[in-house]
Amino acid sequence: MGKQVRVSGCKAVAEAVKAANVDVIASYPIRPYTGTMVELARMVAEGELDAEFVHAEGEHAQLSVVLGASAAGARVFTGSAGVGVTYAFEVYSPTSGEFHPVQCMIANRTLDPPGDFGSEHTEAMATRDQGWIMGWAASPQEAYDNTLIYYRLGEDPRVMLPQFPCQDGYFVSHISGPVELADPGQVKEFLPEFRPARALDPRRPVIMGPQCHADQGAAIELGRAEAMRNAREIIPQVYDEFARIFGRRYDPFLEEYKTDDAEVVFFGQGAHTVPARLAADRLRAQGLKVGVVQLRFMRPFPTDAVAERLARFKVVGIIENSNSFGSAFDAGPLTAEVHASLYYAENRPQILTFLAGLGGENIRLGAYGEMARAMHAAAQAGRVGDGAGHVGEGAGRVGGGKHVFWLGFEPLGDAGVEHVAASEDGDGGSDGEGGGW
Amino acid sequence: MPETIKWLGSEAPTEVRIEGYQEIKNVKDAPDVEYYVPGHRTCAGCGPALAYRLTALASGKNTIFAGPTGCMYVANTSYLCGPWAVPWIHTQITNGGAVISGIEASYKAMIRKKKYDGEFPNIICFAGDGGSADIGLQALSGCMYRGHDVLFICYDNESYANTGIQTSPMTPYGAHTTFTPPGPVVPEGKKTFPKDLLKMVAAGHPAVKYLATASIAYPVDLMNKVRKALAHKGPTFMHIHAPCPKGWAFESSKTLDIGKLAVDTGMWTLYEIVNGQVKVNYAPRRRKPVAEYVQAQGRFGHLTPEMTERLQAFVDSKLAELGLLVPIPAV
Ligand SMILES: Cc1ncc(C[n+]2csc(CCOP(=O)(O)OP(=O)(O)O)c2C)c(N)n1
Ligand code: SF4
Ligand SMILES: [Mg+2]
Repeated sequence: MGKQVRVSGCKAVAEAVKAANVDVIASYPIRPYTGTMVELARMVAEGELDAEFVHAEGEHAQLSVVLGASAAGARVFTGSAGVGVTYAFEVYSPTSGEFHPVQCMIANRTLDPPGDFGSEHTEAMATRDQGWIMGWAASPQEAYDNTLIYYRLGEDPRVMLPQFPCQDGYFVSHISGPVELADPGQVKEFLPEFRPARALDPRRPVIMGPQCHADQGAAIELGRAEAMRNAREIIPQVYDEFARIFGRRYDPFLEEYKTDDAEVVFFGQGAHTVPARLAADRLRAQGLKVGVVQLRFMRPFPTDAVAERLARFKVVGIIENSNSFGSAFDAGPLTAEVHASLYYAENRPQILTFLAGLGGENIRLGAYGEMARAMHAAAQAGRVGDGAGHVGEGAGRVGGGKHVFWLGFEPLGDAGVEHVAASEDGDGGSDGEGGGW
Repeated sequence: MPETIKWLGSEAPTEVRIEGYQEIKNVKDAPDVEYYVPGHRTCAGCGPALAYRLTALASGKNTIFAGPTGCMYVANTSYLCGPWAVPWIHTQITNGGAVISGIEASYKAMIRKKKYDGEFPNIICFAGDGGSADIGLQALSGCMYRGHDVLFICYDNESYANTGIQTSPMTPYGAHTTFTPPGPVVPEGKKTFPKDLLKMVAAGHPAVKYLATASIAYPVDLMNKVRKALAHKGPTFMHIHAPCPKGWAFESSKTLDIGKLAVDTGMWTLYEIVNGQVKVNYAPRRRKPVAEYVQAQGRFGHLTPEMTERLQAFVDSKLAELGLLVPIPAV
């Protein structure tokens, strides 16, 4: 068993990068991820980690440096946040499209505006369609583990995709938590040396990223799509291996908390699922059967797991920590993906979305209570299937009830009140227990 | 005309030494194994393609090329294949300098950590003028500043050629491009004078000890400069004049002639900067007037004598800087 330490999410990642014996690191400063690079710079300077530490001239260059290094056969690491993530955007697709399994941590930060230092998932979510593996850690330990897990997954010959292990800025990046560091033997077993099948090696010449004719393009896109599908298939095996070697077992796709008898669940990723658990405990003391479901991977999105496992709840309350202006339901990407995943499910829960923590605002514990009560009221009131959510009723409304809320700006009670009223009128369907769920 | 002059305020000139490279004495002495082979669809008479071929001849087998977007990417790799017999990787037009930085860092680390047992390779970025002097300038600067052991080559066809000949910072004053069409409001077409890329790299990047201009019309000189640059440990930079028949509007059989004429008129000069010292490699005895160069290319077809004079004055001032301001003999 490895050494126990208390470190922040940023430092935890640096420790994992060292454990992974990374060869090339590319840096550029931006809060709140900078702490990882500061720590890595120290490790390299003091000889704890043998790596080339390249001071890139910006995030676009960071990503380009690690792309080149990975193409030449090195295991590489870089990271960013906020506008840094969007500044590098051009390089994301070539990285995945040419199958360079680079790792770029993101410690989330708002874009400009609002230009504060707060954490928000929007910048990472903006990259979600670039062919990168992506998911969130909720604690420094998860941040540490994700770095190792993502290398293993991304470097699998059936995958060979780059990875964005994300962590919420400040909430994870800057708050210390207990972390068990792996011992080298464990890491060696879990994460074999990176030996790509093709690299820029003059002894075996290859051409990487050539142009193609338009009728050759679709096949290339299919290759990347297949790699992502392979990742989804392999993820459970990687987590099994991880549990066997390190003794920590995670659910590969959806971490559930107190869901056995839950009627309503918070659904989210990363740090906000932590206070959600605390809130669930407290709300349970008040008699509300609340659980929490933590999404591990945004990419690949676990459609089947979401469809199968969310179907058993009456209400799913999405904690939506990023914006997608003008998207379906005027919410964010999580809302769209959860709805899409549930479309073919036989039993569909009601879905409420809470746009929460935007701009880095803290979601207070009390707010979880309000959200849970709104979910509970919705659970009492209606169910999907009673003419709910039909096209034509106006986006953002289920059963005539509003279901997307800007936390702190709109009274959450509305969801409940409208649904409860409907139920009292007798056209709202089930009153809960055994009502055809 | 001095052989070498002090330039850029460099103090106590250190002795110029680029050693350990195998000099090519003449064209016959050039290696006969090609690493840039036929099988691409660049235009007939393409100057950049010839520059690539000469560079690859000089650099040999233990070489990795990075190719930013531009003609030398698109026209070379159009159908998922390419003409290189050495490893080649595409880079964005923006980031050639950064990608070769990463390749170099990778080899340093892998050799040190015993993950690679071959020899440290020649790492060359072969970028267009857009990918060097404009949108790729930041990556070029970062790479040169950090001191990577790489060679960055700007093949200069004086336009964004691959997108259909648009002006770049290297396009000469007065040239017609599709973004600088001459018309009653803008009679000269291109209104500004080009950047001095080599000087920018030389003046602002203390880690760079070897820089050279070259021309496809002087192949032996070009190949030897590639070899010198590669022999030097550390970042090196070359700026290669590479006439483009399509963009400059001349007959595809005239590429070498245009290249020579550029040097004979002073529109292009051949020199090296080694440890801050300038060494002019070739100075025409009898300088030709810029008008002759202008008349040979369709892109300058609209120029008035006054405009040609402005171009001549610009060229004169550049030559004066290099100590090359020899008089133009009267015709
Ligand atoms: C970010 C970005 N912007 C624009 C382009 C479009 N583009 C493709 S090739 C090219 C011209 C490149 O010019 P240069 O670097 O001089 O090379 P040349 O084509 O002249 O050989 C441009 C602008 C691109 N590929 N990427
Ligand atoms: S447009 Fe110019 S640079 Fe491009 S392939 Fe043709 S001749 Fe070569
Ligand atoms: Mg060009």
